Amino acid sequence: MKTFNLSTLAFALVASSSAFASSIAITNATIHTATDSGVLKNASLVITDGKISAINPSEVKADTVIDAQGGIVTPGLISSMNQLGLVEVGAVGGSRDAGDDKAGIDFDPSMAYNPRSSLVAYARKGGITQDLIAPTGGDTIFAGLAAAVELTGAFDSVIGSQKALVVEMGEKDKGSRAMSYKTLVDKLESHKQKLAKKDDKKKDETPSTEDQVLTKVLAGKLPVVVEVQRAADIMQLLKIKAQYNLNLVLCGANDAVLVADEIAKANVPVIFSAMDNLPGNFDSMHANLANAGKLEKAGVKVMLTVAGDASHNMYQLRFDAGNAVSYGMSYDGAIKAVTSNVADVFGLTGGKIAVGQKADVVLWNGDPLELSSHVVKMFINGEEISTQSRHDKLRDRYMKKSDMPAGYTK
Amino acid sequence: MQKFVPSILAVALGVALTGCQDQGPKREKVEINKNPYPSTYKPYSGSSTLIKNATVLTGTGERLDNTDVLLVDGKIKEVGQNLSAIADTTVDANGKWVTPGIIDVHSHLGAYPSPQVESHQDGNEMTSPNTAEVWVEHSVWPQDPGFNRAREGGITTLQILPGSANLFGGRGVTLKNIPAPTMQGMKFPDAPYGLKMACGENPKRVYGGKGVLPSTRMGNMAGYRKSWAAATEYKRAWEEYDKAYAMGLNPEAPERDIKMDTLRGVLDGDILIHNHCYKAEEMAMMIDLSKEFGYHAGTFHHGIEAYKISDLLAENGNCAALWPDWWGFKMEAYDMVQENVAIVDAVKNSCAVVHSDSDTTIQRLNQEAGKVMYRANDVGFNLKEEDAIKWITYNAAKSLGIQDKVGSLAAGKNADVVIWNQSPFSVYAKAQQVFIDGAKVYDRDDEKYQAVSDFMLGQK
Repeated sequence: MKTFNLSTLAFALVASSSAFASSIAITNATIHTATDSGVLKNASLVITDGKISAINPSEVKADTVIDAQGGIVTPGLISSMNQLGLVEVGAVGGSRDAGDDKAGIDFDPSMAYNPRSSLVAYARKGGITQDLIAPTGGDTIFAGLAAAVELTGAFDSVIGSQKALVVEMGEKDKGSRAMSYKTLVDKLESHKQKLAKKDDKKKDETPSTEDQVLTKVLAGKLPVVVEVQRAADIMQLLKIKAQYNLNLVLCGANDAVLVADEIAKANVPVIFSAMDNLPGNFDSMHANLANAGKLEKAGVKVMLTVAGDASHNMYQLRFDAGNAVSYGMSYDGAIKAVTSNVADVFGLTGGKIAVGQKADVVLWNGDPLELSSHVVKMFINGEEISTQSRHDKLRDRYMKKSDMPAGYTK
Repeated sequence: MQKFVPSILAVALGVALTGCQDQGPKREKVEINKNPYPSTYKPYSGSSTLIKNATVLTGTGERLDNTDVLLVDGKIKEVGQNLSAIADTTVDANGKWVTPGIIDVHSHLGAYPSPQVESHQDGNEMTSPNTAEVWVEHSVWPQDPGFNRAREGGITTLQILPGSANLFGGRGVTLKNIPAPTMQGMKFPDAPYGLKMACGENPKRVYGGKGVLPSTRMGNMAGYRKSWAAATEYKRAWEEYDKAYAMGLNPEAPERDIKMDTLRGVLDGDILIHNHCYKAEEMAMMIDLSKEFGYHAGTFHHGIEAYKISDLLAENGNCAALWPDWWGFKMEAYDMVQENVAIVDAVKNSCAVVHSDSDTTIQRLNQEAGKVMYRANDVGFNLKEEDAIKWITYNAAKSLGIQDKVGSLAAGKNADVVIWNQSPFSVYAKAQQVFIDGAKVYDRDDEKYQAVSDFMLGQK
């Protein structure tokens, strides 16, 4: 499959001979490893067979050697909690597949993932190589299952389904959020009871998908991403986490700063928009640009995501990280918040520049968090991949002077 | 009111004019007050400020290094090197950048405020395809915390527009971004009114769903033409009345129509068009529509496809207020290019504007403009900071018809000024101090100048 990707994509998008090489080296780079190794200056790395095979080897040997000329190398960025490949045009119902009225615990939208969506190439402009796509759910608090995709555009680019169960808590238009807690706890409790009684039951009965998911949830093996803002809600969820051994991840969490120490103590990571700073509702009165930095300082593992229409605007993830730095997050922490932290929390390979890691690597011409920088080269699984999208073709069509109508410029 | 068919109105007036000599005592002249909700805004400080040794972007294409800016009596007194004036306050801006106050031509702050609860949905009178009679200033909640956040991003002036569900959404209003308990305390003195129009998907979706015209794009155009034809008759009726009265006759005044007052204001050139219109072919038709009825098509907002007709926009004197990168939320936003603003800007006599339409990106219009500059330069443009700043200062002021007052740093202009900690086109840039009419309205290092809305006060 990899070989197939390589030939089609390389011809179609980059026509780069380097993509055919079995080993690639990048030299003369500043490498942000997103690991405890921190930043390596005047460094080099070697990619072999889709993996990072060496960092700063004494002698660089590779089929293709790329002189970064002092440029910056980061792991491919990892976005999360958006509907990439599940929605093409927001207002076109037929192009939306992230939610369904009947969606529940066992709803897996990755079955509907379209790797050829025009959003995929556009997101690559932002240096994003992997993404955690999330369901938008239906009538219950259980939105469904998140999945991991890599942004190759290939038909096998869903690299992991069932990476997390997504649950929506907090304010409700009608009724009480207390009912959401009842629904959540009842579901967990009844499954716990069911597992306890399992021995009494027929052992050969195949559990439903929902039961399989809940079993993993109660074993702490499947992250439960809870979308929630209010501090009081977060405290409730920390109790439920303790009671049911949940691998809890908070998402949104505009008020998390009020209970940052408790979140850190409970070892609960937070997915966060660095740009939220308005009280969108009474649950998010403490949204603030400084929150990402404050959570980091309290010892919370922070992951950043783009607010609003995150699917189309995903490429801005690095700018959000830059703003987080501007308002108090450490630079290294901001890089990790869009790479290795996401990989660690959701059990993805990649997101780190380290020997043995999946070679999702981006070379930038300058500070990747700055508006002025851009992707120079991008590799997913060690294969070079283009950041050209249809937007570039549209631009070129209308900027190119031609004797014929623009409609003939391809 | 709409039941009056305009032609009948005109005929009735004609009859009245012929017989008016014999209709009893002389009537008092009916005058329409064009400014019944006047600004009560006053600058709150009369002190003078000298900003020293800054990198100054004038807003009109110039970058001046090691330059001083002197603010006196609410005006920019002088921009130059080594000014020797003595001011109440002197700011050492060495290493810092100074720009005109940032202007957002498209905001819904106050009308769609935070928190975004149902009781706060005051930005869109979605009850008729033509609601030219509504004025969004009557919806503005001055305590929206978003005003304060925007000021922290250097926003000193912003136009609040009604939403885009209707062909004619109503009047917009231009505000000074100053904390005040009333809308009028924020109202930009003598700024022209805007009329919000909306092409495309929104009106046809909202009304088509109700089985009312428009349900199609051709229905949109028909709705516009009907309304402008009626407005033309209304304008004529009042002009005939004014003429007859001036001649010493005793005419009966035409019936007042608040909706038609707004459309007439456009035909008279008093009110500027701000047209939500994404697509190239629709913007071109809106230009022809304006020619058919004799007004100027004004500024196209959200013109995702402006790059396809950049020559036409410049030739016709239209501003295009654009995002750097929003796209894909609906079909008419599908053909986005990141260089849109730069392509429009590259044409002679163009007026490219970066706008927000957002309570979050309004806080970073500098970054929004920066994104355009850098992406355009990546593909061979040669834009500089002094070029990009125009998109959020001078050109924006021009779009709002207030370029004689704000939008550039020149002697005599209102002292709306932002001091940035570095080039405003960095992701790390922050507004450090913001002045409106010479009064310091924000200081990042001094809590005294950090306003808190009533709503946020005491929330824990």
